[in-house]
Amino acid sequence: MTAVIEAEGLGKRYRGQWALTDCTLSVPAGHVVGLVGLNGAGKTTLLSLATGMLAPTTGTIEVLGGRPAAGPAQLAKVGYLAQDAPVYPGLSVADHLKLGARLNPGWDDPLARRRIDQLDLDPGRKAGKLSGGQRAQLALTIALGKRPELLILDEPVASLDPLARREFLQDLMETVAEEQVNIVLSSHLISDLERVCDYLIVLADSRVQIAGPVDELLAAHHLLSGPRRDEGRLPAGMQVISGSHTDRQSTLLVRADGPVLDPAWTVSAVGMEDLVLAYMKQSAGRGRRDNRHLEALT
Amino acid sequence: MIWLTWRQFRAQAVTAVAALALFAILLAVTHPQLASLDVSTGLAGCHSGGCGRAANAFLGALSNLTPFGGPQAFRLLPDGANLYVIVYTVGILFILIAPAITGVFWGAPLIARELETGTVRLTWNQSVTRARWLTVKLALTGAAAMAVTEGFGLLQAWWAAPISRAVDLGGSVSVFSGSRFSPLNFATGGIAPLGYAAFGFALGVTAGLLIRRTVPAMALTLAIFVAVQVVMPLWIRPHLLPANQTTVALAAGHATFSHIGGATAITATAVPGQAGAWILSSGPVDAAGRAVSTLPAACAQAAGSGTPASGPTAGSPGDVLPCLASHGIREAVSYQPASHYWPLQLTETGIFLALALGLAGFCFWWLDRRRA
Amino acid sequence: MIEFHLDSRSGVAPYLQLIHQVRQALRLGLLHKGDQLPKVKDVAAGLAINPNTVLKAYRELEYEGLAAARPGVGTFVTGTLDGGSLAAHGPLRAELLRWLAKARRAGLDDESIEALFTSTFRSASEEDIA
Repeated sequence: MTAVIEAEGLGKRYRGQWALTDCTLSVPAGHVVGLVGLNGAGKTTLLSLATGMLAPTTGTIEVLGGRPAAGPAQLAKVGYLAQDAPVYPGLSVADHLKLGARLNPGWDDPLARRRIDQLDLDPGRKAGKLSGGQRAQLALTIALGKRPELLILDEPVASLDPLARREFLQDLMETVAEEQVNIVLSSHLISDLERVCDYLIVLADSRVQIAGPVDELLAAHHLLSGPRRDEGRLPAGMQVISGSHTDRQSTLLVRADGPVLDPAWTVSAVGMEDLVLAYMKQSAGRGRRDNRHLEALT
Repeated sequence: MIWLTWRQFRAQAVTAVAALALFAILLAVTHPQLASLDVSTGLAGCHSGGCGRAANAFLGALSNLTPFGGPQAFRLLPDGANLYVIVYTVGILFILIAPAITGVFWGAPLIARELETGTVRLTWNQSVTRARWLTVKLALTGAAAMAVTEGFGLLQAWWAAPISRAVDLGGSVSVFSGSRFSPLNFATGGIAPLGYAAFGFALGVTAGLLIRRTVPAMALTLAIFVAVQVVMPLWIRPHLLPANQTTVALAAGHATFSHIGGATAITATAVPGQAGAWILSSGPVDAAGRAVSTLPAACAQAAGSGTPASGPTAGSPGDVLPCLASHGIREAVSYQPASHYWPLQLTETGIFLALALGLAGFCFWWLDRRRA
Repeated sequence: MIEFHLDSRSGVAPYLQLIHQVRQALRLGLLHKGDQLPKVKDVAAGLAINPNTVLKAYRELEYEGLAAARPGVGTFVTGTLDGGSLAAHGPLRAELLRWLAKARRAGLDDESIEALFTSTFRSASEEDIA
């Protein structure tokens, strides 16, 4: 299976700051990929590099085997829903569909109209008068209307109320089930990603901390609790991601190649939220970041 | 992409068409009387030299005219105000400011608005490259900007044709005067407005692309455009083509003497045999051709130049100029002849068009580097 | 047709929850042999979960012999759970009630009873595997 996104040493620098460093990824096809990270971790930068909105400072990136935004054919393969679902406030819903039709040779107008019908959007309504959830749905319709092979969504539900958020995700999952479209979506809300993603990329401190299929990641990580022990005295093949200690007890989140057999430890499974938090804490500890950033996740 | 550009431009296009339409109606309504005066003063049929009288008669009648032949007819204007002077001035003004307006209101927001509101994130991810997006937007909106300016220019040219003819024949009454080379007339005549429109638009687009915020881009565009429009006639236009140099005799009709606050100046007003020339600079020179900075003592007396507190004394050219002439002093004149009008127009327009194309090319280059 | 629900706080993987709900439905008689399970698309859309999760659950059910996929039509129930209905386990149920009464008399509260049961159950299962 060819990779949907292939990045090698990818980095982007703005005004002296590295927004993304040393990013190497090989995202497989056939998944709903979740990109999680704090605000400012580099999610939008990575997605902008994938769509060709930005050019890399270092390294390379290939999307569906081609250079991002290299030409109309490449642009037609990738659909993008930017943060806050930008639309033209003065143009109506129908105008936006016309925009899609005129700017995309591969536009599927019956599909787009059917979606607008199902979503109960009034074609004559100006896009500026739509609610946040309706704007997101309109923008998604435009992105899907050109029948892309890859759909990239940047924080699509971040500014939506819970009902709109649920409806958007329901709609997205129905689309995934019906079409064979690859999806990459970024979010800082882990609970949403947990439901829909089966491949996870964690970005923290402008770097990729971990990436892989969710099942494999969860199977490879364990939560160990037991009597106080130094982290350095663990068997080989085990890597501590985060740990906390009292005078009597240690609790460690570890990544292990094989099963944990030491009877001194009580082993429990790790959920996605704990996994992501552990990697963020690890990079935050390294970078000596302010703990307030972690609260942004919950 | 053409549809989208049109759809985004629609409201602005309607405004422009409305403005042109209103102007056209104003001109159409006032034209018949103008045309009849043209005939009645004998200007229309006059072709040979010596039409100066007919020209002045026409212009005089025009500027004394109260609307539609009677003061009661047009209460909108204050008593004594002249409709034709106003319409003529308004037309000149429209042609003058149209390039600035289109540059500021059409050019600056073209890209800046989309960057500011983030809609580029929608449009640049459809199946059109940024190069094509920019090409269509620049070409269509830029052509519209040039067409609007040209529209005002053509309407004005049609309506004021008799006036232009009168001025060319030597007539000069109130605002209906001035050579084709005066800054106002040169900038609003010929093909120069097209160049300004193209430049103003390209300037606006570039400012918008670099600044990425609509209002500051509009302000910067206006500032730079006005600065260029001031610098061009003052310092650049006179040197676009090599000027002719000659000396003229110091006689009334070719030169004047003026004395302002202690400084004396002798300036040439006309070059014999060069009707309609544009005098760039002039100054007295002696028989050997060297510049004269102080008047000979004898003539200074006649000029009454011993009183620093006196105001401008344009008086007694009859005394001063012959006195100077008798000392062998002539006036050296640097001028552009009337025949240079169209070459200057073409050169200036060419410069502005080249600037416009250069700015457009820069925009393509900048966009390609994916700075956005 | 049954309808699935998801408890996102339970800590149990979604696909396991789906499998569990199918088995429960079979036990309670809500599903019979030949009934169609909800379409993957509808489950994914209804619960806002990845269709692959649903596919995984259905594949697992197929592996256990409880369901079979008919391409282009849907997934259908093909088996029943052996052991019949709960009603057939009367004696086991009565023994459990007696034990519960004993645990209460010994002073255990609800949570202690559950913890005792769970840890014993787990270690017994591990012994079975080992």
